[in-house]
Amino acid sequence: MARMKFLLDSDRCIECNACVTACKNEHEVPWGINRRRVVTINDGKPGERSVSMACMHCTDAPCAAVCPVSCFYTTADAIVLHDKDLCIGCGYCFYACPFGAPQYPRIGNFGSRGKMDKCTYCAGGPQADNTGAEYIQYGANRIAEGKLPLCAEMCSTKALLAGDGEVIAQIYRERVQRRGYGAGAWGWRTAYRETVAI
Amino acid sequence: MLIKRSEARAGKQRLAAAYAGLSAGGLDRRAFLRQAGLTGVGLSALGAIPLTTVRPAAAGPTDFAQPITRIKNVCTHCSVGCTVTAEVQNGVWVGQEPSWDSPINRGTHCAKGASVRELVHGDRRIKYPMKLVNGQWQRMSWDAALAEIGDKLMAVRQASGPDSVFWLGSAKFSNEGAYLYRKFAAFWGTNNVDHQARICHSTTVAGVANTWGYGAQTNSYNDIRNSKTMIIMGGNPAEAHPVSLQHVLSGKEMNRANLIVIDPRFTRTAAHATEYVRIRPGTDIPIIWGLLWHIFENGWEDKEFIRQRVYGMDDVRTEVAKWNPQEVERVTGVPGAQLRKVAELFATQKPSTLIWCMGATQKTVGTANVRAYSILLLATGNVGKEGTGANIFRGHCNVQGATDFGLDVTTLPAYYGLDENAWRHWSRVWGVSYESIVARFDSPAMMTTPGIPTTRYFDAVTLPRDQVQQRDNFKAMVVFGHGGNTVTRMPEAVRGLEKLDLLVVADPHPTTFAVLANRRENTYLLPICTQFETSGSRTASNRSVQWGSQIVKPIFESKDDYEALYRLAGAIDAAAQKRNMPFRMQAEMFQGFEIKDNAPTSESILREINRGAISTGYTGQSPERLKLHMQHQDKFDLVTLRAKDDAPPEIRGDFYGLPWPCWGKPEWRHPGTHVLYNTNLHVKEGGGTFRARFGVERNGVSLLAEGSFSKGSELTDGYPEFTTAVMARLGWDAELTAEEKASIQRQGGTASWATDLSMGIIRVTMEHGVMAYGNAKARANAWNLPDPVPVHREPIYTPRTDLIAQYPTLPDRRGFRLPHLGQSVQNRSREVAPNFPIILTSGRLVEYEGGGEETRSNRWLAELQQDMFIEINPQDAAARNVRDGQWVLVQGPEMPRDKQVRVKALVTERVGAGVAWMPFHFAGWFMQEDQRGKYPQGTDPIVLGESVNAVTTYGYDPVTFMQETKVTLCQIRAA
Amino acid sequence: MKIRILALLAALFIGVAGLPAFAQGSSQAPSVADEMAIQALLRGETVHGRITIPDQRAANLIQPQGREWREFHNVTLAWVGGVAVLGMLALLVVFRVAKGRIPIEGGPSGRTIQRFNAFERVNHWMVASCFIILALSGLNLTFGRHVLLPVIGPEAFTEVSLWGKLAHNFLAFPFTLGLVFMLLLWIKDNIPNGTDIRWLKTGGGLVGNAHPDSERFNAGQKGIFWITVLGGAAVAFTGYMLVFPFFFTDIAGMQLSHMIHSIVAVLMIAVMLAHIYIGTMGMEGAVEAMTTGQVDLNWAKQHHNLWVEEELAKGRAASPPTGAKAAGAD
Repeated sequence: MARMKFLLDSDRCIECNACVTACKNEHEVPWGINRRRVVTINDGKPGERSVSMACMHCTDAPCAAVCPVSCFYTTADAIVLHDKDLCIGCGYCFYACPFGAPQYPRIGNFGSRGKMDKCTYCAGGPQADNTGAEYIQYGANRIAEGKLPLCAEMCSTKALLAGDGEVIAQIYRERVQRRGYGAGAWGWRTAYRETVAI
Repeated sequence: MLIKRSEARAGKQRLAAAYAGLSAGGLDRRAFLRQAGLTGVGLSALGAIPLTTVRPAAAGPTDFAQPITRIKNVCTHCSVGCTVTAEVQNGVWVGQEPSWDSPINRGTHCAKGASVRELVHGDRRIKYPMKLVNGQWQRMSWDAALAEIGDKLMAVRQASGPDSVFWLGSAKFSNEGAYLYRKFAAFWGTNNVDHQARICHSTTVAGVANTWGYGAQTNSYNDIRNSKTMIIMGGNPAEAHPVSLQHVLSGKEMNRANLIVIDPRFTRTAAHATEYVRIRPGTDIPIIWGLLWHIFENGWEDKEFIRQRVYGMDDVRTEVAKWNPQEVERVTGVPGAQLRKVAELFATQKPSTLIWCMGATQKTVGTANVRAYSILLLATGNVGKEGTGANIFRGHCNVQGATDFGLDVTTLPAYYGLDENAWRHWSRVWGVSYESIVARFDSPAMMTTPGIPTTRYFDAVTLPRDQVQQRDNFKAMVVFGHGGNTVTRMPEAVRGLEKLDLLVVADPHPTTFAVLANRRENTYLLPICTQFETSGSRTASNRSVQWGSQIVKPIFESKDDYEALYRLAGAIDAAAQKRNMPFRMQAEMFQGFEIKDNAPTSESILREINRGAISTGYTGQSPERLKLHMQHQDKFDLVTLRAKDDAPPEIRGDFYGLPWPCWGKPEWRHPGTHVLYNTNLHVKEGGGTFRARFGVERNGVSLLAEGSFSKGSELTDGYPEFTTAVMARLGWDAELTAEEKASIQRQGGTASWATDLSMGIIRVTMEHGVMAYGNAKARANAWNLPDPVPVHREPIYTPRTDLIAQYPTLPDRRGFRLPHLGQSVQNRSREVAPNFPIILTSGRLVEYEGGGEETRSNRWLAELQQDMFIEINPQDAAARNVRDGQWVLVQGPEMPRDKQVRVKALVTERVGAGVAWMPFHFAGWFMQEDQRGKYPQGTDPIVLGESVNAVTTYGYDPVTFMQETKVTLCQIRAA
Repeated sequence: MKIRILALLAALFIGVAGLPAFAQGSSQAPSVADEMAIQALLRGETVHGRITIPDQRAANLIQPQGREWREFHNVTLAWVGGVAVLGMLALLVVFRVAKGRIPIEGGPSGRTIQRFNAFERVNHWMVASCFIILALSGLNLTFGRHVLLPVIGPEAFTEVSLWGKLAHNFLAFPFTLGLVFMLLLWIKDNIPNGTDIRWLKTGGGLVGNAHPDSERFNAGQKGIFWITVLGGAAVAFTGYMLVFPFFFTDIAGMQLSHMIHSIVAVLMIAVMLAHIYIGTMGMEGAVEAMTTGQVDLNWAKQHHNLWVEEELAKGRAASPPTGAKAAGAD
């Protein structure tokens, strides 16, 4: 099976936020929940780079490791998903996540954060694929339709790549070779404990 | 740990409620209506209106059990022209899919494009017509609203004449809508019709057209992939045209191209540049002349190109000689070594392209800027080839088309101008007599006098009557698709709006026009649908025309532009009849169109355009051809935009979207013109020459090309534009068919290529490989402009008062029926500058567009930018004790003394010391007054904020009355 | 300020210094955008940038500290907690086997003396019951997934954990209040003095059979008191950091809070196990102190001889109320 990954080429990312609104559009993500976001480092200075970030679907995912109720599971495509019916909204995954991916529907005093929500890699949740129940809790399930996450598909400059790790790494490698520079595959070391060797 | 879906437990919805904010899914229209009702409408009101007219919006998950229809339309935001692929079920737009086949966006979108589906959710759209009654919005029916509006318009017409109504159109119209609106103004009898191009690229159109013929992007987004050096000057396409960056960055990577960004602000685009040049705002001409100084000094110019195809370059050399590196650095702040490097790259690592946007155009010297840019391209021979050119990124989705169809105070559709020949041409196309059109105007003189542009509409309301050169001031204003916060000097605009007898806003959203002024009566809101809810063509910045198909029917009670205009014409007729006035509009104006469901069809309008818009080559783009292109998008090459060999025969060889000029009749299968003025192609294949618009000689010097001609031309030197007389001299008139001859005979026996409705002249010249519009030189010296060779003029409000004497702005003058102040305002700078020490400039955010009313109402976009802000350099912030994220008060020199705008500080090095920057998309707060309560209930945009144009000041380009938004002064202090 | 206090606490407890974030706009900001280079420069600290949404937490691009927290939660805490709790249980078993139940020497006298009044007892049990629920629900978050989940299944376990989480969050308040009362009620009897040193020198009578002098509370009980009050304060303070997420501190502060909270908590649980044992089944005559409030005089003399003398002296010295007559005076 493919090992699905995200790869962000920060030499291409222009902080256009298409990934963010595509995600909102595809899953009707409510206001205040940011499954994906774009962060700009070195803002306004030479070397400024923007990076689109969401759940990276880590290898040996920290969220899954620390979840007190063990509500996470990994699909055969290595997509890290969780079961909202099991989630107790404790916030541990947010402490552990290196990317700030977990989101909570409410501000959350007294632990009333509600069920954790995060990027599903457009792969829905544990319910039957593409049912109304799945959509309401997790959003669309494009993977089950044979499509890739919409954020990457709609990325204006094709900075955000999604798909089989081997394939997207190869695309990135070729790109870097052709242009002669590359700022590295953002988050890969942290998420997958590897980097794209050029 | 659970493993995969084998443990899936379906249907556990009891906790789903925790996921608040989701719309309940899976509703069809009727169910949605039953469940949701309409915000702000009492049930009784709902009962009075048949359900079928109140189409609600709905959204939800795709139901995979039911068939899905995929419909293609074009994004309604910027001019890149991204295809939007909608998935529709039960008449509800349920999903957006990547449009992989489009050669322009190849599946991608920016934040705005990826969220367009929200527009037909329509949470905050106007749902039904409304009017202000004693300051309160009151619902009414379309018929009643149109009847009242028609009556009031006729009252104004009777008392003050047709020129007292200002028809403000939109760059968001389809081509057909824009054309119809222009025609509407003509049939109303005024040239006071304008749209957003005035405040966007009017100076580009004027500057570029005066240089080489047509006011448009010469190449395309895709063609940038061929460039080896790109300069982006006065533009931030990473935020304004994000999808264009796909082509820019690909080009940069594939060719290892130089990407040079010249801008006062370190933009998101600059972050990807190989070289960034920070300039003082308002010093573009010194920069260009500084570059040319190095180019001429080192002999890097393209001497052969200049000899063959450029007129007046020696006059430029004289001016450029003044701009040695020391003077350039003194005025602009850019060191000579950096400019030398940029000049060398641009002139020697070719092909090079120059990309610009509103940083160049929105200036008191906008036209001159654009002319200087064009001259730089001409001097280095970077026009008319792949990878070169003036890649002017237009603003709105159809600002190019709306400009082409004359939503402009200076011209009829297709740049025919306003002279008698133009009116006669269009009268013939419309099938009415020229005299009948004359009768609609106040006088024949007003018919040929340019109208009053949108940048000054309020001056035309408030100035003393004798200052406005028409019968009366503006008394009524009809606004289709335009924000009220887009024009500078908003405090003045408020006064103007309050004085109007009638204000009609026809838009999907109320816009700032509806709330800005304290109007209590005579203000109407008409709900207009978006382009996704109707069909029609739109012209992207690269002149490609794309057909958008209706995705869903207009939501709520909204109507498309075609129906609104058709019915408004009818309402005016009814009002005229009531007043016993002989004036009528509907019958004559719409006689050529196919009327269906109370509206002319977009196809029939386009066919009329195809018959008349000969001068710009809008004749080959029939609805059928455009639809075929949309259907077979995948057959077009990414870089050349040409349909490949595996394409169906009916499109094979076409350029995508038949970029104008697409000469002659659709059946001739002209492929469109990807690169303008490209002599390497036969005219039948999209080749061309510089247009001969300005005669054949000037002061004894020929204006025609020398030894340059398009491929396969039988005339191997320059030649003038073709008329029946020229045809006769060459003996080519014999080749006209009998039918063509008869047609020319019917229109008086003589015609030029552009007024020959048979298009015989074009057909015959093309057979000879000759361009009907002539083969001239581009003009480095445009003698008809205020500055024939651009010269530096300090901004009207400048902090460099020491430079005013040497580089003054133009003296006070008149234009467009109004007074136009220059030096008398600039001289105030000396007193103003000490108290307002920071240069204020403005620009765009990727999440919002234009006045922002539509995008700030889109919850997916609004979430991303929730506060109006001002970018301040850390140095200026420290001097004012301003911290990042804190509220600050900003004041401009023309604001009332006790007023400021309250915005958030964004302390950043994006702007240099002494410069501040504000986005221009915000409104709804006006000088600290929160106007949310003034919106009709449920239509207030999610995000409101102060408008930058409450701070901006006087200053207009002498050629187009473009406003100055990029350089003014301000003071900032902590709130 | 709060963050700094936390950092200080953290340094004290687990020896981790505060973690300065990669500050936007600091003069040493690297002019490179390479992830590896930046991470190397930061030595594993947070990569922070600018974001347009109001949620500034989202401006943290990468926080590698999550890994340290995970290591702590899954390894350190599990080991410390496991060793502390199970170790203490083992120790108590050994103690029981070795020493058996500590009897009242000479058996109950039948005469009692008031040791704790009603308010003291109610407060104690309030704190005690809160503590037990807090401890169990807390332990559940760390160990339940391995211990309870396989037994009762995911749905039931989530139900339990959800209620446990709610109980944990809300019982924190009565628990803290009780601690404040405890502090006020008992601090005067818990100030360490010379007697405690002697008590400790003799091993508190637990080792060997001596009965060192003791006041109302012996040194061991004083230890429990101070562990309860100070540990409780630490747990409560850090707990509030967590129950109001991002209100007082950022993600790093919350991670630190959680670390302090959980380590102190498991250590307190271990101590309280001993306290419970000795107060109930470990010692004859002890539990009545907190049930009826009356303890047998012999028990009191055996364990708190100085206090008994003091109490009896108080009784003798007390002048009878006006009008009161000695029994049998008429």
